[in-house]
Amino acid sequence: MKKDIRFVRNIGISAHIDSGKTTLTERILFYTQRIHAMHDVKGKDGVGAFMDSMELERERGITIASAATFCEWKGHEINIIDTPGHVDFTIEVERSLRVLDGAILVLCGVGGVQSQSITVDQQMRRYRVPCLAFINKLDRSGANPQRVLDQLRQRLGHTPVALQIPIGLEADFQGVVDLVRMKALYFDGDKGQAVRVEEIPEALRETARIQREALIDAASLFSDELTEAILEERPVSEEMILAALRRGTLERRITPVLLGSAYKNKGVQPLLDAVCALLPCPADIENEALDMDRGEAPVRLSSNADDPLVALAFKLEDRSYGQLTYVRVYQGTLAKGETIVNVRTGRKIKVGRVVRMHSDQMEEIDSIPAGYIGALFGIDCASGDTFVSPGLSLTMTSMFVPAPVISLAISPKNHKSEIGLSKALNRFAKEDPTFRTHTNPETGETIISGMGELHLEVYVERIQREYGAEVTVGAPRVAYRETITQRAEFDYLHKKQTGGSGQYGRVAGWMEPLAEGDFVFENQVVGGAIPTQFIPACEKGFRECLAKGPKMEFPVTGIKIVIHDGASHPVDSSDLAFQQAARGAFHQGYFKAKPVIQEPIMKVVVETPTGFQGAVMGSLNQRRGMIVGSQDEGSFCVIEAHVPLAEMFGYSTVLRSLTQGQAQFTMEFLAYRQVPQAIAEELEKKAAAQKKNVA
Amino acid sequence: MLKRDLILRNPIQTLAGEAESILHAGQFGGILARAGVGKTALIVQIALHAMLHGRNVVHVSLNQPVTRTNLWYREIFGHIARELQIERAEALWEEILPHRFIMTFRTEGFSVPKLEERLTDLIEQNIFLPRMLIIDGLSFEEPPREALAGLKHYARLNELGVWFSIRTHRDEEPATGGLPRQIAEVEDLFEVALSLVPAAEEVQVNVLKGASLPSARDRLALDPATMLVKSRVS
Repeated sequence: MKKDIRFVRNIGISAHIDSGKTTLTERILFYTQRIHAMHDVKGKDGVGAFMDSMELERERGITIASAATFCEWKGHEINIIDTPGHVDFTIEVERSLRVLDGAILVLCGVGGVQSQSITVDQQMRRYRVPCLAFINKLDRSGANPQRVLDQLRQRLGHTPVALQIPIGLEADFQGVVDLVRMKALYFDGDKGQAVRVEEIPEALRETARIQREALIDAASLFSDELTEAILEERPVSEEMILAALRRGTLERRITPVLLGSAYKNKGVQPLLDAVCALLPCPADIENEALDMDRGEAPVRLSSNADDPLVALAFKLEDRSYGQLTYVRVYQGTLAKGETIVNVRTGRKIKVGRVVRMHSDQMEEIDSIPAGYIGALFGIDCASGDTFVSPGLSLTMTSMFVPAPVISLAISPKNHKSEIGLSKALNRFAKEDPTFRTHTNPETGETIISGMGELHLEVYVERIQREYGAEVTVGAPRVAYRETITQRAEFDYLHKKQTGGSGQYGRVAGWMEPLAEGDFVFENQVVGGAIPTQFIPACEKGFRECLAKGPKMEFPVTGIKIVIHDGASHPVDSSDLAFQQAARGAFHQGYFKAKPVIQEPIMKVVVETPTGFQGAVMGSLNQRRGMIVGSQDEGSFCVIEAHVPLAEMFGYSTVLRSLTQGQAQFTMEFLAYRQVPQAIAEELEKKAAAQKKNVA
Repeated sequence: MLKRDLILRNPIQTLAGEAESILHAGQFGGILARAGVGKTALIVQIALHAMLHGRNVVHVSLNQPVTRTNLWYREIFGHIARELQIERAEALWEEILPHRFIMTFRTEGFSVPKLEERLTDLIEQNIFLPRMLIIDGLSFEEPPREALAGLKHYARLNELGVWFSIRTHRDEEPATGGLPRQIAEVEDLFEVALSLVPAAEEVQVNVLKGASLPSARDRLALDPATMLVKSRVS
């Protein structure tokens, strides 16, 4: 492995589903000679594009798991993370953004900035990832790069700087004019591998001149040297412009924009040049870890390969030969044969095989120095774990993991499937923190939960395909919650003193709504009214009541319990007695505190041709949706609404039939809100009926 | 603090006098100012005032996306909540939010018939029944008299009060009659006109036409830090 970190790029390719990023990645790998044939995402040859290594992804034409791959371009080493485009898999996107230094935002030249691009862009902003934009599909009819540039500015708030203008558009799309070098670029050969540099066509010269001025103008903000050169009317060199653009890009104050059509093999090589010239190397980015020994104080990492190791496991994959762990090294070197520590478990691990991944093929290497991405074999860990040299106690910032909002029951059809199912669930839960699984203690059913209908659907399909397990699934269920709305007092005496050893405990205090967090327990008992040794038992008693709320048996959240008084008996008081007392107290106070049911509300964004706007709004309104607004974009419009998840099942089918398949929507969790009275009553009825059935 | 107090303590109520709102059904109101003085901030406060009254507002924005328009509301509401020290502001925000509908158009794609079509969609399907319409960002350089007259008719039919933000220019002389040029030609369509004028430490809200300021001593102004309306007794 080369050691000069300045020539390393860790980049992601993020975009809306179907804007062609997998095809783009495929072309990049072809031009960098990592692969020797190209396939299409939904290709007729049945091979599929290279990065979609999972069968299911190939079939659906979408990328689910982000595979890391490595390639070389003009002396630079580029690690590419192919990120998923569907919002249900955003944990994958977020996790990849954490380990990236820069990104290519792929935008469809026809569809432009779509709702998913907005989500992805927000995530990039959160992790402050500098990016380039690539406007793809310029060969398609209806392609309009200027419109996409406007949308970048208006809808995403970027300051786009066009580095190119197209030569021809739609079916006539021939190549691009490079505004930095002021040359026309054409892509010859049956796979566009030969870049032909020519003079700019006469007809485009004036436009190119004006656009170049705008480009230099934008770049001059970031370079005094360039500004001086302009003022003194000295010639402006290519290097000067690129250096200024690079500075602006790294500060995230401009977004350089390139054009092309990956499918038609046009514009990919200049994009690679731009990645090398404009995106940051690992040393340009400040990374911080948290020091566990000093109350999680942030520590700046050095990105020096000789310092002690700090590395993050950001992705796991289960291969036939064991678990493959993708790691990004932030500081130090991760070398074969060395001993490292998993900070979460404190366990020491000896590093076995170290590899560099190329989608699903691999290359053995000796070490991964700071700034690089690689993979380890045979290491047992969860994704998000930090590895360090012995003696260090640093952890990379834990990533924000949202709680699942939807669940369904899953059961194997036969014994063989049972084994497959348990293996699959075990692995998925490890790989994806938003996917969880548990057993319902009452019914014995296995429940899986996740971030959306599609999220769970994909896992169910993977269980069947990859593990050959035949399963039946129940209807999806919404994760309702209970919470209280006002303060209520309790004073409960648990007393059993007839025959045998007695039980005695009294607990008094109050409960109140908690604005943030799930549960807080506070002990204000003074003077030993409840002996100190029984306080934990009280807390345990209360805590046990939270799993199943007395109102509807949904988990209770957002509650603070304070105890300030009580009583005990020298002989008959015990842990058990106080647990019972706490339980009694909870039930006593709970209904006085006006409990309510809360449901997950989703932020739904629908993009539809303008003609169907009324129908789409109607459909959202019917689903108890609150429409926040509609944004008219000419031929189509974007409608944003807040809709209860419970009403969104099967919406994709409804939307398709409403709009002749021309609309699409994305959905993400927004917040928990109180269920309206009428719906709460319905839920109560259903629960009562279910109870009856069980009995 | 209860919603009621919030309404009463809102200086915007001064402009409405005894009535619930400044504009009645079918009436037009204009807020005139130069770019960047606070037209949107004031218009959003008028909208929030209406929402607190439980009246539905459609906010049409001609150059800002939904998220940015929403941000205006959040910011202004946040300032009000802090200023008046409202407890459970978040719950109140959730409560009034359903009374607002944001509609954005690109400036070139906007036309009054198109807006009417969209509004009719909302009303007929019973999705949202607006009582107030806000049009932010429409150019009055050459006031579209015919379209405005059409909208006025529509507003009367559907009992809407309509507010416009109207951009004026720094060094322009007012037209005869004292009103800014942008509104002078269509002055007959407007029942209320307010102007924002930056003064030394605040932005004064002046009544050009209609609306009530009970006594000459009452003055309204925008606090340049928060852009909130405050009453000034001089």
